[in-house]
Amino acid sequence: MRLKPHWSSIFENGTGARLYPYLMVMPAILIAIGVVVYPVVSGITSAFYDVTLRTLNSGDMPFVGMRNFERVFADPNFVRASLNTVIWVVLNVVAQLGLGLALALLLHRIVPGIGFFRSGILVPWVVPSVVAVLTWRWMYDPSVGIVNEMLVRLGVINDYHPWLGDTATALYAVTVESIWKGTPFVMLLLLAALQLVPKSILEAASMDGASGWRMLWHVILPQIRVSFAIAAVLTFILTVNNFNAIWLMTEGGPLSSSEILFTLAYKYGFQRFDLGRASAVATMLFVGLVIATTIYLKLIQAKEAD
Amino acid sequence: MSTSSVTRETARDRSAAPLKRRRTPKSVRLALLYAGLWAAFIWCVFPFYWMIATSLRAKEEIFARPPSIVPHSITLQNYVDLLVGAQFWRFALNSLFLTISVTVISVLLSVTAGYAMARHRFKGSVMLPLFMLYGQMFPPVLLLIPFYIQLKFLGWLDSLYGLIPVYLSYMLPLCVWLMRGFFAQVPHSLEDAARLDGCTRWQAFWRVILPMARPGIVAVATWVMIHTWNEFLYASTFILSEKNRTLPLGLSGLIGQYTTDWGMLMAGGVVTAAPILLIFFFLQKHLVAGVGGGAVKG
Repeated sequence: MRLKPHWSSIFENGTGARLYPYLMVMPAILIAIGVVVYPVVSGITSAFYDVTLRTLNSGDMPFVGMRNFERVFADPNFVRASLNTVIWVVLNVVAQLGLGLALALLLHRIVPGIGFFRSGILVPWVVPSVVAVLTWRWMYDPSVGIVNEMLVRLGVINDYHPWLGDTATALYAVTVESIWKGTPFVMLLLLAALQLVPKSILEAASMDGASGWRMLWHVILPQIRVSFAIAAVLTFILTVNNFNAIWLMTEGGPLSSSEILFTLAYKYGFQRFDLGRASAVATMLFVGLVIATTIYLKLIQAKEAD
Repeated sequence: MSTSSVTRETARDRSAAPLKRRRTPKSVRLALLYAGLWAAFIWCVFPFYWMIATSLRAKEEIFARPPSIVPHSITLQNYVDLLVGAQFWRFALNSLFLTISVTVISVLLSVTAGYAMARHRFKGSVMLPLFMLYGQMFPPVLLLIPFYIQLKFLGWLDSLYGLIPVYLSYMLPLCVWLMRGFFAQVPHSLEDAARLDGCTRWQAFWRVILPMARPGIVAVATWVMIHTWNEFLYASTFILSEKNRTLPLGLSGLIGQYTTDWGMLMAGGVVTAAPILLIFFFLQKHLVAGVGGGAVKG
């Protein structure tokens, strides 16, 4: 029995049926080509041209080959920013994964009130990043900041310290905020993985007398290793792309002490309007991220195959 | 097999007497667990508490040294100062306009694309989803420069409309990827049943599958809303005049060169975060299952 004919019956057979899936993906693909593919290609291309406000206005942008890259490598700030990026990424990834795993293990147990703790611990993830960064900047305030007051009361420091204004501490102070903000998401990913570990394995292991560290190392970690690796790559990508924390707390200063490649590219581009040189730095970051993304996809496929 | 039986035997040997001594008693372990939970809770929630506490203090108390953990007196003066000015409402409306436009557009586009990628075999049905995921990982700083050049050419710099395509670049690919994951979980049998009842392919999608996938759609929509509402980098680069600022941009603008009115700034932070927190705790189950699961499972 057939219902009354519907306009969409043209997609049932023949050419209509063949076109149907293409028509459904078409709008999204067209927009994605326009707003992702085209900009990426043109961004990489402009790394090889002299693009400044002046050449942009005259419409005549000369091809300069590798000149932008050479100028970037010759800049002492670039060396500084590269080193800082390594420190920034390593500290963030290691701390977020370590703390995220610890939190996931804590929150994995079903004990009274666990819902309350789970919600509370997700707060940093939910608070808008700009709000979080500005709050931390206020907490670090050199004259009336609560961080200073607490550290003085705990006896860690003798007097208030300008954490964000000191070249020795600025990068690390921002890193603390970034770890605070990023850990709950890692915890979520690992908690989801922990909940998929069959109970029987954990019970068998604990009956065998495995406890504490041994259980963690020999039983739990091997079970969640793929999720753990995925969390590591995602944290890496999110940290490299974390602009707000550094920009809104220190703008990369003082004296480039908290400059990372992202903020350096941003300064080249939108403070000095040397867009060609900014594109050169961005292209280098892009290559690194593409490699990381490829690893991420391979890991996801490994997980689906499990 | 052999290794596991060996470990079991050694465990049994040990369990005879010394194991009981080695294991900490249950009550102590529970106390340690709660101590850990409280420590993590305080670490995570304290900055949020501090923002609210600061927003409720009088100006003199905010700059008193040493700062006190609990406010001595509570005042709403900071909120009044913030909400009486027309600026704040303007920023809120701008953010609301952008959030709604970007959410509607990306959900509409990603629903059909995600479905077709999950259900139909066609040229590119394997590569396209991967391409979408790659699109999400591109560093925003690489996109900033071409966007700036394009918007400048089109005369869309400093315009909220100009931000819509920019935000789509940042939202759409992952939306399609997540949607594909949700549709892949809806059982095929439902669609087959609808088709047997005489529905066309489009009707089966529209009337049967779409309602089934509603939790996934809600999760994706919420994810887009939250990210658009919070976005700072693109807005701060492409919006130049004060009247077109979004809320995060307006907040960062309250940081002064020499002095900053932290009470008002923190009040603004509370008001900016409030809708996100409400949405989140209202939809917590959907979101955590949807986005957390989507990122891992695909």
